[in-house]
Amino acid sequence: MKDIIAAALDAAQMSGATYADTRIVDTRSEEISVANGRVEGVESNASFGIGVRVIADGSWGFASSSEVTLDSAVVLAKQAVAIARASATVPGEPIRLADVDAYQDRWSGPCVIDPFTVPLQDKLDVLLRADETLRANEKVALTKAHMGFYAVHKHFGSTLGSYIEQDHVETGAGIVAYAVEGDEVLSRSYPNSHGGDWIQGGWEVIEAIDLPGNAPRVAEQAAALLAAEPCPTGKIDLIIDGSQLGLQVHESVGHPTELDRVLGDEAAFAGTSFLGLDDLDTLRYGSEHVTITADATVPNSLGSFGYDDEGVPAQRDPLVSDGLLTGFLTSRESATSIDRTSNGCMRADGWNRIPLIRMTTVSLEPGDWTFKDLIADTEDGLYIETNNSWSIDDKRLNFQFACEIGWEIKNGELGRMVKNPNYTGITPEFWNSCDAVCSRDHWKVWGLNNCGKGEPMQVAHVAHGAAPARFRGVSVGVGR
Amino acid sequence: MKNIDATRDLAARTVALAQEAGAEQAEVLAISETSSLTRFAGNRIHQNVAENDSQISLRAVVGNRTGVASTNRLDQESLFACCESAVAIAKSSPADEAFPGLPEPTPVTASDRAIQRTIDFTAADRAQAAGAIIEQSRVRDLTAAGKVQTTIAAIAIANSLGIDCAALTTSAVATVLSMGGHGGSGWASFIGPDASELAAEALGDQAAALADRSATPGILEAGDYTVVLAPEAVGDLVEFLGWMGFSAKAVAEGRSFMTGHEGEKLMSPLVSIVDDALASHAMGPTFDYEGAAKTRAALVENGVVGSPVTDSYWAARTGTANTGHALPAPSAWGPLPLNLEMAPGDASIDELIGSVDRGVYVTRFHYVNIEDPVPVLLTGMTRDGTFLIENGKLTRPLKNLRFTQSAVQALNSVRGVTRERRLVGTEGTASYVPGLLIDGFSFTGQTG
Repeated sequence: MKDIIAAALDAAQMSGATYADTRIVDTRSEEISVANGRVEGVESNASFGIGVRVIADGSWGFASSSEVTLDSAVVLAKQAVAIARASATVPGEPIRLADVDAYQDRWSGPCVIDPFTVPLQDKLDVLLRADETLRANEKVALTKAHMGFYAVHKHFGSTLGSYIEQDHVETGAGIVAYAVEGDEVLSRSYPNSHGGDWIQGGWEVIEAIDLPGNAPRVAEQAAALLAAEPCPTGKIDLIIDGSQLGLQVHESVGHPTELDRVLGDEAAFAGTSFLGLDDLDTLRYGSEHVTITADATVPNSLGSFGYDDEGVPAQRDPLVSDGLLTGFLTSRESATSIDRTSNGCMRADGWNRIPLIRMTTVSLEPGDWTFKDLIADTEDGLYIETNNSWSIDDKRLNFQFACEIGWEIKNGELGRMVKNPNYTGITPEFWNSCDAVCSRDHWKVWGLNNCGKGEPMQVAHVAHGAAPARFRGVSVGVGR
Repeated sequence: MKNIDATRDLAARTVALAQEAGAEQAEVLAISETSSLTRFAGNRIHQNVAENDSQISLRAVVGNRTGVASTNRLDQESLFACCESAVAIAKSSPADEAFPGLPEPTPVTASDRAIQRTIDFTAADRAQAAGAIIEQSRVRDLTAAGKVQTTIAAIAIANSLGIDCAALTTSAVATVLSMGGHGGSGWASFIGPDASELAAEALGDQAAALADRSATPGILEAGDYTVVLAPEAVGDLVEFLGWMGFSAKAVAEGRSFMTGHEGEKLMSPLVSIVDDALASHAMGPTFDYEGAAKTRAALVENGVVGSPVTDSYWAARTGTANTGHALPAPSAWGPLPLNLEMAPGDASIDELIGSVDRGVYVTRFHYVNIEDPVPVLLTGMTRDGTFLIENGKLTRPLKNLRFTQSAVQALNSVRGVTRERRLVGTEGTASYVPGLLIDGFSFTGQTG
C-alpha cells in the first residue's frame, strides 16, 4: 500500500498541491438480526478503496475510488487537484493548517477473540435464545435481537512524511421487547436502545453483554410499562441514567463544541453552534459539578484510535472544566482559529469520505455520589432510563429527549413506574442545573455507532462515559 | 459516465457465480455510482469531493434459507468469495418457512431518467453555481452555506428466475442557507434529475431575501396554533408517515397507525397520499430492489386509510399483491414507499396565509424525530423562516419553535392545500407535496 500512497502524494505535488494526504481503507462488517424468532438478516460486507485529499491554490479538493492501483492513485491525485482549483475560483481565505509532527507508526485496537472466526451458528444461538426468552412473556408482542461486527484496516500517508497503519475491531449487540396493547407500543431495550451497546473488542464483548441473561428483566419491564402511569407534566428534579446522559452529552456538549460547527462549516445541514470563539475560557457551560473531556485514549472505547485521519496523535483534552468552557473539538484547519494545535478529532467514514471533526470519547467525568444516596437525597423527582427519541435545534440549544422508562421518586425512594417519559430544556440552563453526579463505580462508557454528520452523510462511531446525575427543575411530560 | 450495460453484465455474471458457489436461487443488486459534491460555507467553497464506486450485493437462497453478502472488490476471485460467503451464511441460517422464494419477473415500465446535462456537469460548473448562490448573500452582507451535488447511478438487478432490469439515473441537488447578523436565516433548495434546471442565482436570492425578512425574530408563547406549512415542512410529515406507518411489516407488527384501521377515515378529506414511482416528476428507478415493478399505491384517499406497501416477502406473508416496494436485502424495515406524493388542493400559499387570523408560517423543520410510533408523534424544531401570521399577513419573524405533534392528527386537521407542489427531500426519498393549512398544531417550546 505504501507505494500506492507514495504515488498519489507525488502526483498531487507534481500537479501543484501544496499539501496532500492519502488514505487506503479496508473495512469488513457483519450484521445479524432476529425478530420474533425469525432470522431477519445475516449480512456481510466488504469495502476497499482510496481517497486523496489535497490543497491546491489555497483550497481543498478530494477524489476517491474503489480502484486501488498505482495508476488510479495518480489519476485521483490529479482529479483532486483539479477539484481544488475549481474550489479556488470562488474567492476565500487560503486554507491554513496547524502544525503536526510526522509519524511513522502502527496502532491496533484491543480484540481477544476475532468475531469473524466465530461460527455463525454460535452467534445465532445467542440471539435466538435471547429472543425466545423475551417472547416467553405473553404481553411482549414483538421482539428484536441484533449483533454486529466491524473491522477496519487503514493506511495513511501525507506529504509531511507521515505513514501510519491502524486497525481495530468493534462489536455490538442489543435486544428490544415491545409490549403492544391497542394503539400503544412500548419498548424496553438492553443494554441500550438503537442497536445496543458497541465496544472496541471481539467476541468477548458479546459474552460480557449476556443478552439471554438480561432478557427476562427486559421483557418483564416492557410488559409492566403497559400498566404504568403516564409521565407527570411540569418542572421536576430529574435523575438521568448513564446511557441517556451519554446521549445528552453527545447532543448538547459534543456537537456544539465541534469547532467546524462553531465556525459555520456545517450550517446548512447539521447546523451551527450556540458557542462562539469568544466563549472559550469565559462561558459558564454548566455548574461546578460538570467536567467534560474528549479522550481518544480510553481503552476499548469506540472513540479511541492511535491517530486521527489527519495523522494527529490521540489525545485527552478538557472541553468543560468545573463548568467552564475550556476547549473545542478541533482539526488542523479549525485549530488555527483559536491559535491552538489540533486535538485530533478528524475522522472519515471510509475511503470515500473526507475527514470531519468527530467526537472521540466525550464524557461527563464522574462525581462522588452513590446512586442510592442520590435517590435518598431527592424528595420529589423522577428517575429515567434509556433513550427512545432525541431532537435538538440547529444551534444545539433547545433539546427534547424521550426515554423508555421512568420511576417516580418520593421522599427519597423510587416509587411507581412511569411510561413515555420525556424532558426538554436549553443547553446551558440544563447543565447549570446539575447538582450531583454519581461516582466512578456507576460510570460506564457507552458506544454510539450512528452519529450522522456532513454531506455526503458520514456515520461516525463515538462514545460517551457517564454516570447517573441529577438536574434540578427540568420540564418533563412535554406534549403528552 | 456510468456504463449501464457493464453494471447489468456484472449483476448477471454474479448470479451465475452464486449458482456455481452452491446457491439454489440468487439475486444480485449491482450499483455503480459517481457522486460529486461542492459544499460552501462562510461565502466560500470549503469542501469539494468526488467519489467513484461500484458494488454488488448478493442474496443467496438455499432451500428457504437466505444469506446476504456484499463487496466492492469486483475481480472474479473476490466476487466468487463473496458468493461463497453468502451461500455459507444461507446454509448456516435457520429455515424461514414463510420465505416464498425470490420473485418471478414482472413487466417493468422502462424509464430513461438520466439527463446528459447532469452527467456533463463538471467541478467548474458546480463551483460556478455555488458562486452564483453565494453572491446573492454576499451583496446583502449575509453569509451563505449549502451545496451543489450531482449523482449518476447505474443500478441493475438480476436473479436466477429471470429478473434482469437496469436503469441509469441522474440527480442534482442544491441547498442554500443564508444567515444574517440579527438572527435571520432563510432557506431554499432544488432537487431534480437535470442539473441545468438549477437556477442558482434565483435560489440564492430566495434564501437571502428570506434571511433579510426573518431578521430580529421574536418570542411566541407555546400552545396550539393554526399553521401554514411550506412544502419542505410538509415533506417531513409525509416522510415520517412513510417510515413509521405505510409498510406492510409495520402494519403486521402493530406499530403502524394503519393497523386495524384500513378503510377508516383518520385524516381530513383534503388529504390523499400515494406512492408513485411512475409519475413524471418521480426520481429513481421504476423497479424495486428485488427487480419487481413498482406500482402506484393509494395509501390515503380523501382521508381514508388504504393498504400498506409490500415486497415479495410481506406480500406472501399477508396474502396481498406485491406492490414493488422492496428495499435492498436483508431489510429489517420491510418494504417502504420512496416516491410519496400528496394530492394538490386549490389554493395558493398566499391564500392559505390570507385565511388565517392568527397563526404561524413554517418554512421548514429541523431534526424531527419520532416519540411514539402509532400516532406518529413527532418532535422537532422550525428553522430558517418562521413567521407570525396576523389577520392574513406575515407580520413578524419568530425565533425557532419546538413542536410535539402527532402527524396523523395534524393531517386530520388539514383545512387547506395548495395547488402548487414541490419535490422535496433527498435523491433517495424525494416527496412531491403541496403546502398545507393545519389547525391546532402543537408548539411546546421555543429557543429564547
